[in-house]
Amino acid sequence: MDLNLLQALERERVLEVLRRDKQLRIIEEDRIRRMKYELQELRRRGAKSYSRQYGERTCARCQRPLGKFWNSGAVCRGCSHRICSRCRVGVGTADWKCTVCHAYREVKIRSGEWFLEEKARKFPVTTDKYETVGEKLLKTCNVLSHISVVPPTPPPHLDHQFLSRSGDLKNTKPFTKSVEDLMVSFTSHIKKISTSQNDVRGDLLKVDNGRKGSRFIYSTQKSLSDTDISKASHLFKVPSLPNLFKKNKDSDQEGSSTGAEEETSFSSEYSGGKRGSNSSISTEYGFFDIVSIAGELELALAYNTRTSCLEITVGGCRNLAYGDAKKRKCHPYVKLYVLPEKSGKMKTAVKRNTTDPVYNELLKYQIERHLLFGKRLQASVWHSGTLRRKVFLGEILIPLDGWRFENEASQCFNWYPLCPKAESPDGGAMEQDRGELPVKRSSISQGELLRLSSLKCLQEKEMHLTVCQIR
Amino acid sequence: MASATATYGQKESSDQNFDYMFKILIIGNSSVGKTSFLFRYADDSFTPAFVSTVGIDFKVKTIYRNDKRIKLQIWDTAGQERYRTITTAYYRGAMGFILMYDITNEESFNAVQDWSTQIKTYSWDNAQVLLVGNKCDMEDERVVSGDRGRQLSEHLGFEFFEASAKDNINVKQTFERLVDIICEKMSESLDAGDPAVTGAKQGPQLTEQPAPPHQDCAC
Repeated sequence: MDLNLLQALERERVLEVLRRDKQLRIIEEDRIRRMKYELQELRRRGAKSYSRQYGERTCARCQRPLGKFWNSGAVCRGCSHRICSRCRVGVGTADWKCTVCHAYREVKIRSGEWFLEEKARKFPVTTDKYETVGEKLLKTCNVLSHISVVPPTPPPHLDHQFLSRSGDLKNTKPFTKSVEDLMVSFTSHIKKISTSQNDVRGDLLKVDNGRKGSRFIYSTQKSLSDTDISKASHLFKVPSLPNLFKKNKDSDQEGSSTGAEEETSFSSEYSGGKRGSNSSISTEYGFFDIVSIAGELELALAYNTRTSCLEITVGGCRNLAYGDAKKRKCHPYVKLYVLPEKSGKMKTAVKRNTTDPVYNELLKYQIERHLLFGKRLQASVWHSGTLRRKVFLGEILIPLDGWRFENEASQCFNWYPLCPKAESPDGGAMEQDRGELPVKRSSISQGELLRLSSLKCLQEKEMHLTVCQIR
Repeated sequence: MASATATYGQKESSDQNFDYMFKILIIGNSSVGKTSFLFRYADDSFTPAFVSTVGIDFKVKTIYRNDKRIKLQIWDTAGQERYRTITTAYYRGAMGFILMYDITNEESFNAVQDWSTQIKTYSWDNAQVLLVGNKCDMEDERVVSGDRGRQLSEHLGFEFFEASAKDNINVKQTFERLVDIICEKMSESLDAGDPAVTGAKQGPQLTEQPAPPHQDCAC
């Protein structure tokens, strides 16, 4: 089935409905994800771990010992585990379930899983059981519109084969053979591009190449912000290469996407667009604590067709969790990205000592209207702690393509409940990001070949490396 | 007014504070009043002008029923034949149906049988259907008696309401009844696959591995 039988106007109408549906579905998926996460937590707490002796005489849920005659527990009909009287839900001697079985049933009801199972009896599930007709239709139309509308704009990439991901460790050996070189790779990793926008600008314009010469290693280090210094020294302490890689891997999700941000901001350089700051790198690299997620975030979205800007007004937050639970302190700020590319990083100011910050800041992201298709706005709240330690306080994801920007009413403020981080939101998209951005050169110098081993020879020319992934 | 309803819709749809989400589909011949019925229920508004629905549309409404907050995504379909491929594609995802005819239009009543066959073909086996004879405010132009409607509904095994979107008769009741019977089906479905009921006679299983609570069997 396709929509090609319809006239263009009709198709637009239907697509509009499908997009609205998609928006609804994303919100719903998010709810289900949280629900399942909670169930998982409950299960994990109760699970008999393999390392532990499996004793018949403990409650399978709370692990409390059970007596032989007194408080001996009973077998749950759902999971056949012996359960103490405290971990039961429901009434009567026969009609009870253990907490996990109860929660499982609840989730099945609340997520609509029961219906999916029922449906699968008549229509065997072939692909993704969550995929709906609308999704398929949108996909087909999406493909079409992408072909027709979006011009391919390849970023200034460096030869991919040369340094792409895992297999390239061998290639980088000369590069990483000494600690010093390692530092180079990582300071460039952290700093990525030059210290400020102006440097890159000057470079691009080739105003004065010589003046900036011979400062590849030193100047980047000199100009590191506090964050980076602490980060860099942190890295220094890391004893061995494998650990270093492991560390990086752990922060994959955040780290890998930094490159994406860079890429976009860099390419927007050419078009004279705005450029995001690079200063908060530590959050990008995933060295952050996680506290319980609570509270809500207030946002208003609008699209300004005159300036081609997505205008996001961050109103404020309420009932946030304490970023520093011990001291009961919270200095929250809000960070925005446009997914899946993680482009257009924007941040609000940090509000000190409050769990109900008020920002009322208008943040703008320049993007053509039709390019919003398939994009999502990620708004995350962070606590800015001492020593630039960042604590994640929750995030929300808002689909942008289904948003009815024309509608003045939909541009009002809305409160959104904060959610935990998606384990791997759009797993596929993430992978894509990584695959696309192994290493790139950020400034174009005069025709020399880029080889990492020849880095030291390049001191005269400004050379900025972005190592997004080392594995 | 349009903007007011849209805000409402926006808020409704982004609201996560509910217990379940049900998907309901309204079907029936063209111009029997499906869209009006939905607008009356979701926005409490009524426009006498006839605007044919293009393909599909939906509205979201959250209701409080049996101590639960239930979010309804109500799909409104085009009655016209030319959109049939799109609309039937949505049958599969719907938990319940409102099959509507117009009491002043014999043809729409005669088509009920066909619509019912469509549901049987394209939807899940336990699809819950309510038969609704709309426009019962237009008593003067009535051509389908209430009895005929009732008989047909019994024959098809559906529940039956006569309603009016214009005068707001039985609109809320129809949806609430449908929600209730979907809830009933839901409990049945869960209890059927629930070892607490079916496995009661098996006695305790002494397995080392925690029994996976996920029951994929089709018992």
